Amino acid sequence: MAVAATFVIAASGLVACGGSDSKKSDAKAELRIWVRKPPGGNTEKTDDALAAKFTAQTGIPSKVTALFDDFDTKLQQAATQKKLPDIVINDTDKLGTYQQQGIVVPVDKSSFTGASDISDVSWNAATGADGKTYGVPFSLQTYALLIRKDWRTKVGLPEPKTWVDLDALAKAFTTQDPDGDKKADTYGYVIPASTKKGYASWYFSSWLWADGGDFLTGAPGAYASAINQPNAVAAANEWKKQFCTDKTVVPGSINAQTTDAHPLFESGKGGIYLTGPYNMARFDKNLGKAKYEVVQLPAGPSGSGPAALGEGENIYLMAGSANPSGQIKFAEYATTVEAQILGMAGNTDGNVVRSPANTKVDTESVRNDPRWTSFSQWLTKDARYIPRVPDWTPFRQDSANTLNAIASDCSLDVKAQLDKLNDDFNSLLAKQGAKAK
Amino acid sequence: MLAPTTAPVRGGGHPPSRPVRRRRSPLAAIRRHGAAWLFLAPALILFLLFKFIPMVRAITMSFQKVQPYLGNQNVGLTNYRDLFDSSEFLTAVWHTVLLAVVQTGGSMFVGLVLALLLEGTAKHLWFIRTAVFLPTVTAMAVVATLWKILYFPGADGPLNALLHDVGLGPSQFIASPHTALVSVFGVGIWRSAPYDMMIFLAGLAGIDRTLYEAAEIDGATTWQRLWRVTFPGLRPVFGIVLTLAAIRGLRVFTEIFLLTNGGPNGSTDVVMTLIYRTGLDQNNLGLAAAGAMVLLIATVVLTLIAQFARRRGRDGAP
Repeated sequence: MAVAATFVIAASGLVACGGSDSKKSDAKAELRIWVRKPPGGNTEKTDDALAAKFTAQTGIPSKVTALFDDFDTKLQQAATQKKLPDIVINDTDKLGTYQQQGIVVPVDKSSFTGASDISDVSWNAATGADGKTYGVPFSLQTYALLIRKDWRTKVGLPEPKTWVDLDALAKAFTTQDPDGDKKADTYGYVIPASTKKGYASWYFSSWLWADGGDFLTGAPGAYASAINQPNAVAAANEWKKQFCTDKTVVPGSINAQTTDAHPLFESGKGGIYLTGPYNMARFDKNLGKAKYEVVQLPAGPSGSGPAALGEGENIYLMAGSANPSGQIKFAEYATTVEAQILGMAGNTDGNVVRSPANTKVDTESVRNDPRWTSFSQWLTKDARYIPRVPDWTPFRQDSANTLNAIASDCSLDVKAQLDKLNDDFNSLLAKQGAKAK
Repeated sequence: MLAPTTAPVRGGGHPPSRPVRRRRSPLAAIRRHGAAWLFLAPALILFLLFKFIPMVRAITMSFQKVQPYLGNQNVGLTNYRDLFDSSEFLTAVWHTVLLAVVQTGGSMFVGLVLALLLEGTAKHLWFIRTAVFLPTVTAMAVVATLWKILYFPGADGPLNALLHDVGLGPSQFIASPHTALVSVFGVGIWRSAPYDMMIFLAGLAGIDRTLYEAAEIDGATTWQRLWRVTFPGLRPVFGIVLTLAAIRGLRVFTEIFLLTNGGPNGSTDVVMTLIYRTGLDQNNLGLAAAGAMVLLIATVVLTLIAQFARRRGRDGAP
């Protein structure tokens, strides 16, 4: 009984037997492609179509597997069993983790066909802390506020230009019954503030940068923590204010992941949601295109201009593949103009390429939607990327824990919490060998 | 086992033991127990593959920095040291113990009350018992989703609406670090009390009816009958329920993972959620394996204590 109790985890594949990864190279071996997309959804269909086109052109067989919940858990299990897929298309911020674990192989940019069509900013997001390239940029995105336009008209407030405007709007949404059902059941902000996967930190990063704050200062290899500096403290105080003082956040957000947060916006619980353009097709369908508007996150009171998290998806070439040349060929194909347009899937919710990594693609001709154009402009102009440390995951996790604590226990002192986080950051930097001397 | 073979030898003049032992060759043993082993083999092979080999691997991993494609490094006791240095782990241990104690106590109490209320053979009791047992057979994922809805912390949440009707609330339930753990206890007790009830019902059925009749003739009150007849009769059942519930409490995972994932602010983190997060979210399999080891040792110790206590209780009984 005791054995059974404890080894649920062990038996679930965490510690399977190791196999051999010294396979023979075979240029015709099937490429197993894992994409972080909901199985059975339209995005999976687009990825399937993309892979089918690739197979038709090169004769290399391919098989797409869509996984969404716990994608990385499953990838870790595959890694432990040394049965990794050949290709993984996943978030840019996974790069450090994958590289640290040795489960991705570097890409030789100089021999990569079409390398010059991809912008330097994108290539940077595929570069490890050691300066080598560990992925091929596939899709890019930034984040902006989706605001319930019908509610805003109802409460008679202008489009928010400052954080003060935003908070006033959130308050009006919470107190003035914008959905007119005579019940106090609407709120301002929808926030995925769970610590799971570090969502709280991921969401907060845009606010931090927009208020002139930062996680770290310095350059790759010589960083120092900046998380307890005045601007960062100001941004965290704004975060606390929304949860604790104004109480304008949808209740329960504290345990919400993004998958919990989307329904809160589309079902009319909250009216302001900082999220990515990929949700527009979904909200158009479930909420209605006319009911909400896309607004750039304004600069905070201490910030010098608007800013938001920039990220995207890379094509990772996984270690131990039987077909290394096929891996490169797939990455080269997926970044061609043809494949990128296919991945953008017009204005539909099947898009796997949000904004194209290939700069030769004319976004406006593929998507005749001004909202997408705005997103693309904000991406090039104001997007900020996570610092290039060897592994960002523990930083994200620690800051998410702190933010979740601040939001859930209103008696905590923000500065004291950030001082503690500052120490954590500095010791993490030292541990990863990325601290300024 | 030796008894039948030694018996005929006893009458002869030879010292009995030696020739007998020589006759028990390994081949004979195989012949004698072969069928038993054959029948056991499927289960044993499955256990070997899915329990014992992973267990041995987990033990080695707990002393390693695990990186499948770069080669694991032996790091000695570093993982264990990191584990006991981290306040997160110690908090998780505290929560786990608290959860095991409260949930075990709570569901045993509620289970016993339910069993006493619903004991009997009438048709309607059978129906009510089935209804009461439903939470235990419902999938945990469904239960968690349901309670997440019930616990919605806004004033318009279902439970808060009820609280409002009696002039209380609104409570934050699982959204506040002050009430999250208690809310999780609630779900746990709601779910496992019926399970305990079933075992108690079986125990109650085993109590000799004539004892109740005798007590009644002697003029015992309901409370005295409960205290002098029912509880002593249920003693072995208490032991079983306690052991099962305590172990269930220690390895609690699914409800917490689905309800709060350890949050908010780590207020519901237990050892299992921490192991999962460390191992699979943060890819630190060595540290996670060390955590699993500590949990294993705790479970083994707890089981041994429970067994020891039960054996002593049995020996001490008249």
